[in-house]
Amino acid sequence: MFILRFLLRRLAQGALIIFLVSALIFTLLRVVPGDPVRLMAGGMAPEALIEQIATDMGLRDPIPVQFTRYMSGVVQGDLGQSFVRPANGAAVGGASFDDSTRSARAEVWDLIAETAPKTIQLACLAMVFALMIAIPIGVWGGLHPGGWPDRIALYCSSVFVSLPNFWLGIMLALLLSVKLKLLPAIGYGGFAWTILPALVLAIEIAPFIIRSLTVSVAQIMGQNFIDIAGVRGLSRNQIIFRHGAKNAAVPLLNLLGVQFSMLLGGVLVVEFIFDYPGLGLLTINAVMQRDFPLIQGIAIVTAAAFVLINIVVDLLSTLIDPRLEY
Amino acid sequence: MYDHTAMAPVLEVEGLSVGADLPEGMKPILQDVSFSLRPREILSVIGESGAGKTVLARTLASWLADPLKVTGGSAKFRGTDLIKDAAAARKLAGREIAYVGGNPAGALDPTMTVGAQLVEKLRAVRPEIPAAQAKQKAIELLDAVRIPSAAQRFHEYPFQYSGGMMQRAMIVDALISDPALLIADNITQPLDVTVAAQILKLMRDLTGRFDTAVLFICSSLPVACDASDEVLVLNKGRVVERQVPEQLVSAPQHGYTAQLIRELPKLWDTAEAAPQEERGEPRPIMSVRGVAKHYTAKNRAQGGTNVVQAVRNVEFDVFQGDNFGLVGESGCGKSSLMRLLTGLERPDAGTILFEGEDIGSARPARIRELRRKFQLVLQDPYGSLPPQKSIGAILEEPLKIHRIGDRKERRERARAVMSEVGLSEALYEELPNGLSAGQRQRLNVARAMTLEPRLLIMDETLSALDQTEQHKMLDLFERLQAQHGFTYIFISHDLAMVRRVCSRIAVMYLGETVEVAPNERLFFDPGHPYSRALLSAAPTLEPRRYLPEDCLLEGEPPSPIDLPPGCAFASRCPHAFDRCRSENPGLTARGGRALAACFLNPRRGEDAPAVLTTPETSHA
Repeated sequence: MFILRFLLRRLAQGALIIFLVSALIFTLLRVVPGDPVRLMAGGMAPEALIEQIATDMGLRDPIPVQFTRYMSGVVQGDLGQSFVRPANGAAVGGASFDDSTRSARAEVWDLIAETAPKTIQLACLAMVFALMIAIPIGVWGGLHPGGWPDRIALYCSSVFVSLPNFWLGIMLALLLSVKLKLLPAIGYGGFAWTILPALVLAIEIAPFIIRSLTVSVAQIMGQNFIDIAGVRGLSRNQIIFRHGAKNAAVPLLNLLGVQFSMLLGGVLVVEFIFDYPGLGLLTINAVMQRDFPLIQGIAIVTAAAFVLINIVVDLLSTLIDPRLEY
Repeated sequence: MYDHTAMAPVLEVEGLSVGADLPEGMKPILQDVSFSLRPREILSVIGESGAGKTVLARTLASWLADPLKVTGGSAKFRGTDLIKDAAAARKLAGREIAYVGGNPAGALDPTMTVGAQLVEKLRAVRPEIPAAQAKQKAIELLDAVRIPSAAQRFHEYPFQYSGGMMQRAMIVDALISDPALLIADNITQPLDVTVAAQILKLMRDLTGRFDTAVLFICSSLPVACDASDEVLVLNKGRVVERQVPEQLVSAPQHGYTAQLIRELPKLWDTAEAAPQEERGEPRPIMSVRGVAKHYTAKNRAQGGTNVVQAVRNVEFDVFQGDNFGLVGESGCGKSSLMRLLTGLERPDAGTILFEGEDIGSARPARIRELRRKFQLVLQDPYGSLPPQKSIGAILEEPLKIHRIGDRKERRERARAVMSEVGLSEALYEELPNGLSAGQRQRLNVARAMTLEPRLLIMDETLSALDQTEQHKMLDLFERLQAQHGFTYIFISHDLAMVRRVCSRIAVMYLGETVEVAPNERLFFDPGHPYSRALLSAAPTLEPRRYLPEDCLLEGEPPSPIDLPPGCAFASRCPHAFDRCRSENPGLTARGGRALAACFLNPRRGEDAPAVLTTPETSHA
């Protein structure tokens, strides 16, 4: 009952958020300079033709009219068609305004559905690596606040956070792919191609997890119920793993939710460096090509992912700590 | 009484010394402490704060943290020396030696049900007990400590328990492994007197049933004497005497004990005249009429919101130069009322007149002006002072806020109030973090005084201080009143303090004023059964005028969310009848400027009911 009400309320809120995000993105895209039709038709196309194409596509209608038309499609699950990308693959754009293949433009939904799983795979693997690095360091640091494990945690996170990801990506590619020939680095040809970018991302987000863990574990371990648990006769392992870890999990979970959303939404630099065909790379290309429908589609899908992840995180948090209310 | 001497002692402490290993050298905390404890015996340990009581409890529970170290002596539990054999001591902890602390609120993991944690603890110390049996035992014990519908409560989380219930659950937690020794460290301190009295009775019953020996650490002599077979007096880390309570009170051997008994405030001492009301000037400085305030809280289980009736039907007058007392147990709405009286929040209904002006409906700017004349002193001496500000700046701030005087005048005023409350002027530039609790409360009083208010509202100002310091503060209040003509409102749960200083007292129960009466009248002829219950449970060494068994039924107050329709006290009142459950009596005059909200009081022309005319007999 509680969960049902919770879900209903949060999904309604989420729908509102997604609507606002769409409106914002939609308006801003049309306000900033840069005419997508000019890019589509090419620099040589006559002005009259561009105006005609634009009018045909409805791009000269008032923004609210365009937005209403777009949203009525979105509600039916239609994110529109890419301005630039043809359905048969190779992105063309550019000069060929009279190209006969241009009528068959790619569906935005298909483009996203094709790339999103790769990004999800990358995000999940990055999260696993990050936790493998951060949990031992963070928990150990939190159990000895002020001691040297705490300092190690601090130093590790300082080093990790100061490594620029583009540099780290290049260095790891050089070391692991070029020199040692252990892992593939560029493009995507299977699971092995995910490992390297995931490692770079993991090192990027691990410091935040380490920091959050040391603080929350140290705080929980200083609580009265942990202090008194030994006197009540519980063993140290029971205290740390059953009570300490469980209570420290709530702030960690919230952080992981945010981090995961960020990974899904925009691992732009890392995907670009490794030429990893995920949502990030798709976004970069869409922006560079002024591909309005694709940018909007990606924004809506990532916003929806944000909303869903947050709902899941909050639900898990209430399951762990029943005092929380969302 | 049971003959303890027939059994071999459970615990023998010999020459135990504990010190704090500080950089400047070993500072002794406990010195040469020796005593023994037999099964079923309850031994109280009393002493002022800093006497080493808690250190003793923790040493025996293997819970000494740095920098505390045992420096000598032994503590033998059935022959095992807990000091020498630390590993064995840790095995005994929680199993044979159980500990209950004074802070039940944070004692259990908030994310697990109480029941699961009781089972977890029992199985941690006695792994041979199967889970189902452990659960059954936990429910049985929860039932034994009178937690209502124990089987259901077993599945609830700590935050769903009230403070009193949590303390009961912690007693279950301690007793569930059938320990031979229970260390109870200040277990009644955070509880209301009526609940504390029930917990003490419970502890006696249970220890008798399970042959447990109890070391009862306590800072209140009356509670210690009530609870135990013998009392051990600890002073500055040394045992100064051990006696049975009656003898300790009648013939204390050590000077410290004698002083403790002498300083103990009395509730029914007629030798010392109670503060009288100021009859000369009958003009009320503050007049509260029908004030109510509710808060809304989210309801998780059913959705929607709950309405918490924090304050309702509050009525009283505070007269010029009076010491007005506002007493009641936690959750009775004292602090919510304080927020209304000081204009921090506005009442939903009713008026609060301060010198004829309604605080409840005044404009914010006007309230701020009025605040110059009524000031507040809070309970927590640590949280109520800004830690990064010098003492001088703290005292000058109110003057700055109200734009009074220039820099030099403010400085002079700050120095003047410092010397008035007994703070050395040398502290002017210091930060408050070096001050003791008593000094901090002096500073709080000084801060409230800088604006030369007419009314000071003291919200539990003295409850964080020990008895000696309380005495000094009360003397200070008296002196200040004589000099400045202050009117005080003391909000307190401490009946002895109220008895000593207040001329007129209002008793609150579940947000209502159930009785408003002059001091003598309230203590010798209370007009409300709840007032009597409160008096019956108050810790005192005097012969009791009211016996708890006659005044209070088992149980805890109803929730302010779900108030019964009639008199709120009806569910715990031994004299309640049908009308009480359907109709709220409301305050009515009972002569001699006393008011009470009870149907049993004679209305004009009616005869007095029998229960109220016979004063209860006393017991020793």
